[in-house]
Amino acid sequence: MITKRLHPGWLAALASGAVLALSGCASDAPLDTLEPQGPISRSIDSLSDPIFLVAGIVFVIIFGATAVIWFKFRDDHSTDEFPEQIHGNFRVEIGWTIGPAVIMAVIAVFAVISHFELNSSDRTDIQVAVDGTATSWDPEIVVVGQQWWWEFRYYFDGLDGVDLSDPRNLPPADIVTANQMVIPTGSEIGLSITSRDVIHSFWIPALNGKRDAVPRRVSPWKIEADVPGLYFGQCTEFCGLSHSRMRMQTVAMEPADFQAWVDRQMRPAVEPNRAAAQRGREIFEGQCARCHVVNGVNDDTSRGADLVANAAPNLTHLMSRTTYAGGIFNLYESDGTLNRPQLEAWLRNAPAEKPAYAEGRRGMPAIGLSEGQIDDVVAYLQTLGETPTLDIIAATEVE
Amino acid sequence: MTDTMELEAPARPLGAYTRPKANTGWRDWVTTIDHKKIGILYGAAAMVFFIIGGIEALLIRLQLATPDGTVLGADTYNRVFTMHGVTMVFLVIMPLAAAFANYLLPLQIGARDVAFPRLNALSFWIFLAGAVFLNMSWILGDVPDGGWFAYAPNTGMVFSPGKGMDFYAIGLQITGIASLISAMNLIVTVLNMRAPGMTLFKMPVFTWMILVVQFLLLFAVPVITVALFLLLFDRNFGSNFFNPEMGADPLLWQHLFWIFGHPEVYILILPSFGIISEVIPTFSRKPLFGYPFMVFSGIAIGFMGWGVWAHHMFVSGIGPISVAAFSVSTMFIAVPTGVKILNWLATMWGGRIWFNTPMLFASGVVSMFTIGGLSGVTHSLAPADTQQTDTYYIVAHFHYVIFGGALLGIFAGFYFWWPKVFGHLLSDKLGKWNFWLMLVGFNMTFGPMHILGLQGMSRRIDSYSPGFGFEFWNMFATIGAFIIALGVLTFIVNVVMSARRARHEPPVGLDPWDARSLEWFTPNPTPVHNFDDDIQVEALDEFWHRKYGEDENGKVVRVASAEEVCQDGSATDTHLPSPSYWPVVLAAGLPFVGLGLIYTLWLCVPGAVLILMAIYGWSFEPVDDPDGPHGHHHDHGGDEPVDDGSGATPAEETAEEAPVG
Repeated sequence: MITKRLHPGWLAALASGAVLALSGCASDAPLDTLEPQGPISRSIDSLSDPIFLVAGIVFVIIFGATAVIWFKFRDDHSTDEFPEQIHGNFRVEIGWTIGPAVIMAVIAVFAVISHFELNSSDRTDIQVAVDGTATSWDPEIVVVGQQWWWEFRYYFDGLDGVDLSDPRNLPPADIVTANQMVIPTGSEIGLSITSRDVIHSFWIPALNGKRDAVPRRVSPWKIEADVPGLYFGQCTEFCGLSHSRMRMQTVAMEPADFQAWVDRQMRPAVEPNRAAAQRGREIFEGQCARCHVVNGVNDDTSRGADLVANAAPNLTHLMSRTTYAGGIFNLYESDGTLNRPQLEAWLRNAPAEKPAYAEGRRGMPAIGLSEGQIDDVVAYLQTLGETPTLDIIAATEVE
Repeated sequence: MTDTMELEAPARPLGAYTRPKANTGWRDWVTTIDHKKIGILYGAAAMVFFIIGGIEALLIRLQLATPDGTVLGADTYNRVFTMHGVTMVFLVIMPLAAAFANYLLPLQIGARDVAFPRLNALSFWIFLAGAVFLNMSWILGDVPDGGWFAYAPNTGMVFSPGKGMDFYAIGLQITGIASLISAMNLIVTVLNMRAPGMTLFKMPVFTWMILVVQFLLLFAVPVITVALFLLLFDRNFGSNFFNPEMGADPLLWQHLFWIFGHPEVYILILPSFGIISEVIPTFSRKPLFGYPFMVFSGIAIGFMGWGVWAHHMFVSGIGPISVAAFSVSTMFIAVPTGVKILNWLATMWGGRIWFNTPMLFASGVVSMFTIGGLSGVTHSLAPADTQQTDTYYIVAHFHYVIFGGALLGIFAGFYFWWPKVFGHLLSDKLGKWNFWLMLVGFNMTFGPMHILGLQGMSRRIDSYSPGFGFEFWNMFATIGAFIIALGVLTFIVNVVMSARRARHEPPVGLDPWDARSLEWFTPNPTPVHNFDDDIQVEALDEFWHRKYGEDENGKVVRVASAEEVCQDGSATDTHLPSPSYWPVVLAAGLPFVGLGLIYTLWLCVPGAVLILMAIYGWSFEPVDDPDGPHGHHHDHGGDEPVDDGSGATPAEETAEEAPVG
């Protein structure tokens, strides 16, 4: 009979025990919260691990009691007598009211301390050469969410005096990039997170917890990596149609590499010299420039994008990033060559690749380019920025 | 005195102004104001929506079984998961709890019906109207897709330009009316209509939990009503309550929603806590351990539940001091809940336990809710929650508490009270299959979601890419979901087969479970008039104490058989409140008004006409059916409100004619 073999307590204990045990196994889980890769996420982990342990202990106690009840107090029909009709035990009940309350109070102390630490900033200035001039940068990056991609803006003079109150019309920044936020290792980087449309949430699990991007609010947060690498993220507040396809990555580089990256990012786009790329540039100026900006081409004339959010990814250094379209497509093959088929498909018919509301001005429309035009645009895009290192490309590969 | 309180009635009432007389067939069900039938209506309707919500869940699981799934596109997925949440919370768990509350609460306090029987019927029909209205969106093509929590500004006109979110807002407004009416009705019933001698602290824990829930509804539903009105105005009349481009704070929606939403989850769970507080003592053959603590912890949860709402907003940017305060308050609300778990275990401890189907489900609640509660404690720590919130870890948590807690408790209630309602038992053998399939399937589905969440799988995503490590457990969870479906199917088979079998078997008889509370005084199924006479209550678990006493050694001995204690249902001449046409007519007007607000205001006209007609008819219909029985009155003190509205005491009423020609 089933009831003899499988007891609810054991079954659930098995299931839950398996859950707890297996949750430690995170081989190919780039968003794993249990494998922190930075000091901030480690501090969160050092609070949650003991709590998981406490919860596990309580679980074992409760399920243990359930198992004992099952074996010891089930009716085996050996008697018809009634058990002792105990109505309660005041002392015991006070005990198991006050006891858990005390345990919670102790936990609360640690939790609140950890919480205020998590919400405080302890930044030190980073020395960055901006256009050759040594600058002391209080490292803060403006993170802007919109349907369905992330923008990152760097202001090397610091954010004092930078008016972020209208996210759809932000002051010009030193660097404007998308999908991949580049930071130097070893420094706490402040994040000022906002949104141009609905509520999104910025989350790089390996490095920190998440913080919502709320339109017309600027939420302070932070991030820090101590090992160079590429860290994956996912928008984590339901934001509509392509919420699942709104991803981002944080690329952490050694300070010297970060400086090199800054130098490259601050240069405007080079003039293309190949004919195909020149034709592509003309197409860009005729079509893409309605929304996208390339520094040196239309950054001085652009008033934003023909979209509700008034912004589309800045493409000046597109090739320096390894993902696009909201961080969901690989720009490169694992050998470092361009992933042409996907890029062409995107240019051919973006809404078929990623659901959007182009007619509602939220998302890239199908532009109606011919195959020749697509080739030309790809040729032009390939002039925009320098290919990143192979290890970053390799780190991006998630099939 | 009665003359001055009578209304001038026409000499010959128009056809619409008579009280209906049907007591069988569909007309009976449509015009009934009997709390028992209304309870059955709630239960049946809710189970239909359970199947619909369950299909929505299976679609979700099919889509997520594999990476880059193609079963549902992104748009359809967003609608399906929205409706799954809305359906399960508002159209399944709440009305199932209402089913039990409606059927049992008057019986457990020894009353003939609720305080306002026609309003009770109205609550059901309005609930059904709202539920149907919401689901009409499937047919009319614009299904809500903003999530069950509908965060602004995503649900405003700019970002949700279709009609879906209007269906959401209006549908929930309509069902909200039902909850509010019911809350007022049941509170008045409990406070005023208890049997003589039944002080509040002699009420069963189930009744107490329902009472706490009604107060929670009374104060929480108005908050979401406000929020939904503000949303409707933003979407339809150009206001800017949630429009950040015009200076509004989008977090306002979240605050309003969660000030409702958090008490709402206690509304969902407390009835099931009440149910198992009846089931566990019955089958452990021991009284509930710590009745006062059980009552007070329920009340404490009711109060404390108002002070934790922003734990749903820990990462929304409300500021560290607010977050710290809500983090601490959330940690402490675990305490009264933990007390309950321990008290249930202590009830079982030392008992002589019959692990039949209701007891299995009740025991399942204790175990599964423990898991859900513990994961809840882990989220209460704000730093940890910055990793956990909006991931599948949260999905795991709330399914453990809502499915593992509320739903399993409801199934315990089904198996326990089925004989009382229908006069026959559900098969215990099939019931055990029902339980184990549901339990195994449920743990297979939601257990791994703890892992998925901690490994970074976000909520509310229509698909995930390969390479993130989500494949195995998603497929596992999908298989589990279909096992749950098998379990639910087993329940349906059980219901049908048990009904068929009951036709050629002797009726279940009196007190099949050797139970403890007042509802078991009546024969099974409960006679339409409930009790033959008022019961003088002297103790908690009055029914038990009439059957059992103690000998000189303190051992329990039987002092009376069920036949001697129970009533025989013979007082069929009891004066009952009469059925009425008007509740269903009034409720029918509401979807027209809703469709009018969405499509064209002209549709509001028939709706308004129906509503006004119903109110008028309701006010002027005769206080009861002159041909109905007036013979038997309960032997009560005379201060019980006599439901025919004349204000007469029972003695006077016997002498007069009902005021119709």
